[in-house]
Order: sequence, then structure tokens, then C-alpha cells
Amino acid sequence: MVEVVGASYRAGGNLILDDVTARFRRGRFNVILGPNGAGKSSLLKIATGLLRPSAGHVTYDGRSVRDFGPAELARRRAVLSQHVELAFPLPVRDVVLMGRYPHYGRSPGAHDVEIVDRALEMVGMLDRRAQHYPTLSGGEQQKVQLARVLAQIWSYDGASAHNYLFLDEPTASLDVHYQIHLLDVARELLAHECTVVAILHDMNVAFHYGDAFFLMEHGRLVKEADDARELSTELIERVFRVTARRIPDPAGGEEIWRFTL
Amino acid sequence: MRVRTRPSNPVTIHEMLNRSAYSGTYLVLGVVLLASLIASAGIGAFTFTPSEMVRYVGEGFGWIATTPSDTLNRNVFLQLRLPRVFLAALTGAVLGVSGTLMQGIFRNPIVEPGLAGTSAGAALGASLVFVFGTTSALARPLGSLAVPVMAFIGAFAATMLVYRVSTSFGKVNVFTLLLAGIAVNAVCGAGTGFLSYVARDPQARNITFWNLGTFTTADWRGVVMVAAAFAGCFAISVRHGKSLNALMLGEDEAAFLGAEPEKLILRLIIVNTVMVAVATAMVGVIAFVGLVIPHVLRMLKSSDYTFLIPASALLGAVMMSVVDIVARMIIPPAELPVGIITAVVGAPVFLWILLRQQRRGAASFYG
Repeated sequence: MVEVVGASYRAGGNLILDDVTARFRRGRFNVILGPNGAGKSSLLKIATGLLRPSAGHVTYDGRSVRDFGPAELARRRAVLSQHVELAFPLPVRDVVLMGRYPHYGRSPGAHDVEIVDRALEMVGMLDRRAQHYPTLSGGEQQKVQLARVLAQIWSYDGASAHNYLFLDEPTASLDVHYQIHLLDVARELLAHECTVVAILHDMNVAFHYGDAFFLMEHGRLVKEADDARELSTELIERVFRVTARRIPDPAGGEEIWRFTL
Repeated sequence: MRVRTRPSNPVTIHEMLNRSAYSGTYLVLGVVLLASLIASAGIGAFTFTPSEMVRYVGEGFGWIATTPSDTLNRNVFLQLRLPRVFLAALTGAVLGVSGTLMQGIFRNPIVEPGLAGTSAGAALGASLVFVFGTTSALARPLGSLAVPVMAFIGAFAATMLVYRVSTSFGKVNVFTLLLAGIAVNAVCGAGTGFLSYVARDPQARNITFWNLGTFTTADWRGVVMVAAAFAGCFAISVRHGKSLNALMLGEDEAAFLGAEPEKLILRLIIVNTVMVAVATAMVGVIAFVGLVIPHVLRMLKSSDYTFLIPASALLGAVMMSVVDIVARMIIPPAELPVGIITAVVGAPVFLWILLRQQRRGAASFYG
């Protein structure tokens, strides 16, 4: 479990995050929701250990994130961001191999190489392993980045450590096919005791994939819910400053949200 | 996450173990370097055959009895030619590695010590000592280290200034970087020019020395200093190849991979500055080598920094040795400053990279 306890964050005199306590439980797909500027990214950066909170603390399974060495932390949690560009040409396999950097010293071991291939296989990019990263489409590049973060938290069999995957608006520039593919792969990780924490903007996608929801507004956590039905229409309308309608899915799935101003 | 992996595939592993994939390139570069060192030692106003070289070296170390009739040749070879050969190769290695490091730090293929102000800052620092002398209040406490220390201070200030101006929120603005480089180079050049003008020391007076670089003043003391600086800095640099690769993804992504980008960048700027400063204090400013070497290696083989760092040392040494041979041969008995040759070769490469970058956008560069 990742626990963020009483976290505040100040930058340039502004209170970006105000006393946020959030527990992201193991084996769950935790979704952080909220309008732009609500402090979602800051919360994620604090939870990943990248930002040090002005007040409060973060623990991974009870151990403070500050007690981890940089490489040790990198073996436990990986972060997938929106879109990563490379100014230089590297083959896809070299990019994915970066995920193994925290695991080896000067040169990769045979199992690092093997994991790179398995991760590429998992995202369906194994046959593109020799292609140069900048020549791929945006969606394919994001698949490669997903393979990289998978390789990073891939533990060799029998390891008891539980790993965490953070997703910072990972589907922002992806078409619907790549969006679903990426989130399906992320959901598969839950079966392997991995904890997923994701910032998602599309409410329908969020409610379909998420198990737990953290709604943020003005740097505060305003609602925590284990079920999308606990989030009232009025609350969503107020926080996002929209008018919302919930329509039953004729195919029997979750309710569909429609938004207007 | 636990996933049991399948038995490994040997072909895949061979492909992925980058060290073995690059060893062939290292071997070729090593052989070419050896050949160019021998050629550089033999060609010039005095020509020496390989057997003469071996004999003079043996005599110099006292392993074999000296032949009195050879005294002049031997002295020319041991005291003038050989230090020059080594100084040129070492300077090339320094500039090659420096270009690679700076391109990694700035995440852009158009950076090198000559363009980003590092060399010009070093020249200004070193020329201060040459002009005011090692007995001045400024330099006296530093003793014989005054020249390299002042060169380092100048180079470090110039590099940090350019880095700070061109970087905001972890991103480097190429346009600002080039302009900041121009400004810092102009200020340092003006300072060096002024000092040359008021100087009495003949070496400091020689503005060409500072602006275009030359190996004519090479001696063993210079070789030892540049060799020591290079060896230490290279040993640190090769350990950061992985981190520089991770930095290609951006500072945050590198941090998520455990690379501590702020420490990494500061450490590598210092390492880079130390070796460039010492080399520049000995031979003057030589531009474009640091630009061309990584560029050629990226085209030939790979942009992987674990490969680029050692390979750019080897190829840099080769290029500088060849350039020095050309500098000695082109207008005998006079010599061309090496910076003229490196500019003639490097400036078109620079323009070409700039054009491609503009056309395709930095993201798909070399792609």
C-alpha cells in the first residue's frame, strides 16, 4: 500500500496541495480525478517520491519513501508519463532496457534481456524491437514506454516485494484503440499484486477501469470512493463546473456520463 | 509483479549485450588510432621511420647505447615530435568525450565546448595567468597549478551561465542555447583579445594561439597534465553512460529510473570542464571536434552513451592526430593552426545538423 499522509506542498507562495491523506491499496486500480490545477500531478509526484512534500510524508508498505535509495525505489515503482520524446535515435529494445537500469550495474544480465522481450511481447511490440524509437507513431511510442515501465517493476519469479505503477495521464494523446490497450495491460498487472495509481481525465474511462477514486479540488481531496456510484452527480457537476447526465448502458455496463456546460 | 520468464534465447542475448556488440567498433577504432599515432610521429619537417622511432625511444630510456651522430634527430623526436603527437591525441580525446557529455547534458546534438563557451572561458582564465604572471597576487597561492585552475574557473563560469540561461523547467531551449553561447564566446574572446594586446609574454601575445589552437608549443609537462586530467575525468564519465541514456527521456523520467539528474548534471559539467580547461590552457581553443565526433559515431553505430563515451575518446584522438598531420603538411615549412582545419570540417557539419533539426524537429533527429 502507498500511503500519502497529511501531505502539503507549497510552490512560489501558493499552496498547491493542502493536507492530503490518501491510501492507495494493493492490487487496486486507484484513480485520481479532478479538474486542471486541482493538484493531481503534485499528489502523484509526491507519491512517487519525486517531490518532497512541504509537510506530511509518504510510505510504501509502511516504510518511508525517504528511506529508499534512488535505485532501490526505482525497482519498486515505475512512472509512465504523457508522452516521451527522444532527441536521438535509439532502437526500441534499448529504450525498454532503460527500465532495467536500476537492476544491473555495467552490463545487462541474460534475464534483463529476457524481461525486455517479455515486456515488449506484453504490449505487442516485440516485432518492432530493432526499429528506432523516433520513427514510431505516438501510440506506438507510448506502448514502448509502457513496456519500459513494465520491465522496470518486473520482478524475477518468487520475489516478495510488491510493486507500484503510477500513470500520469498516460492516454492523453492516444487514440481510443491505444487508450484501451494501455489500460487493459495496466489492469492485468493487478493480478500480479501490483498497485496501480493513475490520473485519468476521461470520466467514462476512469469509472470503467478504476476500483477506487480520489476526487481532488483546489489542492484538497474532496471525496474518496470505492465505487463510482458513491460519486454524486451534484459533486461531479460542482467540481468540474459542468452539467452532467448519467445514462444507463443498454449493453448492461457501467452508466455512461454525458457532460455539457 | 511476478511473471515467470521463459528459457532465454541465445541470439537475443547476444544482440542485447551491448558491450559485445560494440567491441568490434572499439577494436577498429583502436587499430586506426595506433596507425594514426605512428603516422603522426613519422611525418613532418623531420621524417622518422618506425625502426628509428623504436631506437630513439630505447635510447631515450637508456635501454640501448646512444649513437652520437643521431643526437639532433633523437632530440627532435623525443622532445618535440613525441609530446606533440600525444598532446594532439589526448586533446582530441578530451574534446570528443566533452562533446558527447555536453550533448548528453543539454540533450541536443549541436552542443560542444567550443560553441557553449567552455573553451573560450578556459582560454580567458588561462590567459589571465599568462599575462599577469604566476607571481601576481591572483596566481601566486596556486603555484604551478595557476594556469589549469584559472582555466577551470573561467570554463566553469561560462558553461554554467550558458546552461542556466538556456534551461528552464528541465527543458533546454536550443535557440537560447546558441545565442547564449555566442554572447559568452564574444565576451570571453574580447577579454582574451584585450589581454593578448597588453601582454608581454610571447605566448600570451599570440592571439592565434588562443583562438585557433596549436600543438607547436607541446612539451612533456603539458602531455602529463592533459593525460592526468583526461584519465580522471574519463574514468568518472564512463560510469555515467546509463544515466545519460536515461536523461534522454527527460529529467523526471531519469529520476524515476533512479538517476538523480541534478547531481548527475552538476557532476558531469564539472568533469567536462576540468578536462576541457586543462587541454585548452595547453593548446588554445579548438572548436567543432566535440561536435563532429559524436555525430559521426551516432551515424555509424549508435546513440547509446555507454558506447559513445569510450568511442568518442578513440575517434577524437584519431581525428586530432590526422588534423595535426594535415596542419604540418599543408604549407611547409610553416604550419596551419589546427582550429582552421577543424572549423573547415566542422562548421558545415554544424550547419547540416542545424538544418536537419529545423526541418524534422528535434524529436525525430537522426531517425
